[in-house]
Amino acid sequence: MNSSDVSSRGRRAFFRTAVLAAGAATLNPTPSQGAPGDATPAPAAPVGYLCFSPDEAAFVEALVEVMCPADDLTPGGIDCGLAYFMDRQLAGPFGKGDRLYRRGPWRPGRPEDGYQLPLTPEQFFKAGIKAANQACLAAHRRQFPELTAEEADRMLQAFSTGDLKAPVFGFSEWFNDLVYPLFTQACFADPIYGGNRGKVFWSLIGYPGLPAVNGLNMVKYRGKPYPGAHPPKSIEDFS
Amino acid sequence: MGSSRMKILPERAVVIVGGGLAAGLVARQLVRQGIDTLVLERGGDSRGGAESKIPSQRDELRWDTRHGLMQDGALETYTLRRSRSEASLPMRRLSAFLPGTGVGGAANHWGGQTFRWNDHNLALRTRFEQRYGRSVIPADMTLQDWGVTYVELEPYHDLFEKLFGISGKAGNLRGQIQPGGNPFEAPRQNEYPQRPLEITEAGLIFKETVEREFGFKPYPSPAANSPDPYVNPDGMRLGACQYCGHCERFICEANAKGTPEVLLYPWLEQQPKFELRRHCHVTGLDFDRSSGRVRGVQYLDLATGESFLQPGATVVLAAFTLTNTRILLSAGIGRPYDPESGTGVVGKNFCYQANSGIALFFPNRWLNPFLAAGCTGTLIDEFNDDNFDHAGLGFLGGGYIGVNVSSGRPIGQRRLPPGTPRWGTRWKQANAEWYAHTCAIGAQGSCYPHRENFLDLDPDYTDAYGQPLLRLTFDFRENELKVSAFVTEKCRQIGRAMGAAHLGPVSSRTAPFDTRLYQGSHVTGGTILGADPGTSVVSPRLQHWDAENLFVVGASVFAHNSGHNPTGPVAALALRLGDDLVRYHQKPGRLT
Repeated sequence: MNSSDVSSRGRRAFFRTAVLAAGAATLNPTPSQGAPGDATPAPAAPVGYLCFSPDEAAFVEALVEVMCPADDLTPGGIDCGLAYFMDRQLAGPFGKGDRLYRRGPWRPGRPEDGYQLPLTPEQFFKAGIKAANQACLAAHRRQFPELTAEEADRMLQAFSTGDLKAPVFGFSEWFNDLVYPLFTQACFADPIYGGNRGKVFWSLIGYPGLPAVNGLNMVKYRGKPYPGAHPPKSIEDFS
Repeated sequence: MGSSRMKILPERAVVIVGGGLAAGLVARQLVRQGIDTLVLERGGDSRGGAESKIPSQRDELRWDTRHGLMQDGALETYTLRRSRSEASLPMRRLSAFLPGTGVGGAANHWGGQTFRWNDHNLALRTRFEQRYGRSVIPADMTLQDWGVTYVELEPYHDLFEKLFGISGKAGNLRGQIQPGGNPFEAPRQNEYPQRPLEITEAGLIFKETVEREFGFKPYPSPAANSPDPYVNPDGMRLGACQYCGHCERFICEANAKGTPEVLLYPWLEQQPKFELRRHCHVTGLDFDRSSGRVRGVQYLDLATGESFLQPGATVVLAAFTLTNTRILLSAGIGRPYDPESGTGVVGKNFCYQANSGIALFFPNRWLNPFLAAGCTGTLIDEFNDDNFDHAGLGFLGGGYIGVNVSSGRPIGQRRLPPGTPRWGTRWKQANAEWYAHTCAIGAQGSCYPHRENFLDLDPDYTDAYGQPLLRLTFDFRENELKVSAFVTEKCRQIGRAMGAAHLGPVSSRTAPFDTRLYQGSHVTGGTILGADPGTSVVSPRLQHWDAENLFVVGASVFAHNSGHNPTGPVAALALRLGDDLVRYHQKPGRLT
């Protein structure tokens, strides 16, 4: 965590406070302002959240800025579209419980039994935000978005291990089985879903994307750097 | 869905439940002989839609992460308990294994590994007792011989390989061991119809290492991924594999994966004696206990909401493994298995696989995981089945070991060295550093039957149509934990010898069974075959012991699961059943 990250967070916190004070519905992800390493120009930033309240948006924006700080590898999580991705996933079929078996009886299970709560993923995600803010208040007398990057990082570690005082909420399941997968999906899914803006994470790791017609490449680039990975191609490039 | 409101349709000669691989192969043999055949499939088609066209076909989030092609768990899932003393819980998000739906079934989204199981695998009890003595099989391991021999199945393996254009390298041609192939395979009459797929960089490292350091005999994974354009004996065509890394869990947009919807159903639908009826969800069998005959199949037409009884002179259950068992239990055909007494048969010998793997990291090698097909694997069989001496080991079984590189899809297939932070700048750095330089060495561990691993109907949970869910009473028991520990340790030794700079956690498959982790879709058993009506559901010819005109096919008839993928024996048994049903059609009675 370097000083520019902190100042970037400070700037966002200022915007957020200002917007909330003005009673605006949501805080828009601000377009990239030339963050270091932002080699590919990001497409126009989508505006607004579908299912996050302002408080929830503030939490998720703070979360993705801690998990994906602006650095010389990528822009910050907001500018990568990560909060936007999570909002759209939770507002859509996934968040509403698509493919999830939701009939009773509802019995408690152990972690290996998988998800057993009668909440949709959207409801569980938001219940977790409330509980996490409570846990932050108890530990720091501030809610999650108001923590320093270091404090927020330590709280996320605690959520992931479930190592919190008087846990009345299944933080470990919430973080590891819902929040964290959404985070990695936001980074690495096709940009059509709103995350991985500008294919920044694909470029970072050298994933070529699609369509990948590799009949000859399979032999030609066996054991060698694959030039087709730069730049990667996404669904938009073939649409 | 009461029978009073159920419309009764005209009788058909053969009615097949399920429109997947096994059904398509049975139907092919029947229709070639001009026998009227109807297939009832609960889903629709996946050719021509977003799942099979560029660019949407390459959408990892939609098809892989969110299981876009799989059975919808909101409609039907399974419940699990790990012992009879526990309450069951539904697998609310199907993750550990992934049944398919729609024409072609799970064989649309498969990777394509197509093994023949060697001859001793079909008579394991006899084999183990002869080699190690009668006491070697634990009392709670309900192993039994299949009553089918490899020699009987060999022509059908051969036919399936030709129909699906399987690529590979023979290891045993008519008794002669072949260099470059799997020396442990049973004798085959013919070479694979197609050459092996190109080897991956990771496969090369594995191959060179096990040959040099251990003297093992690596072989290319047999594959239903077509290395070249191919025309099968029915005139059906496969394109050439593009090594695109979107194979298993996807529809092949290049038509290069051997699947029923490319090679079987388009041909079948051109035949005058064949009908495929889509969107038909089978709800039961109409069974006449006094005559021991099934009158027909009850189904719900999901396109119209109407219920039908489809009478059939012959009825075949060829649905997903677990569905076959569920239908028999619901219809009350055959005695349900009772673990307390060890009697009864339906639901018995449910098996899975004890799969495990270790991530390997090579900073100076470009492994390019995205240059891959579903079956670009390099494998060894030295520790599979009974290919090695089990005396004194305290377990039976084993698994293939190898490096399967099938994809570099970045959501699900990234690997990071142990100790890497899970987010932040260092996490990003590690992703950039390692993505193109990792692979996994893995083992596909066998799973032998256990007295307490079985299937029955759940007393509490129902599907979207109000019928009981199937309940799995299952955990990895002592034998499988030992198998997995053994083969995983072999993986570690080979991984070390391959020169990996880092190895991921060496974690063999452990109990309790974790429903959150994908562990392969190879579930077997429940309607097992055998020579003794007291211990099996169907005869070695797949004829139900209690209903003469009812036949069951698929991995549900496997009496155990081995360390090889199940598709080869499923296909060979289905083709043989098709030929048997031609005989049965001409002269009904008990098949011998």
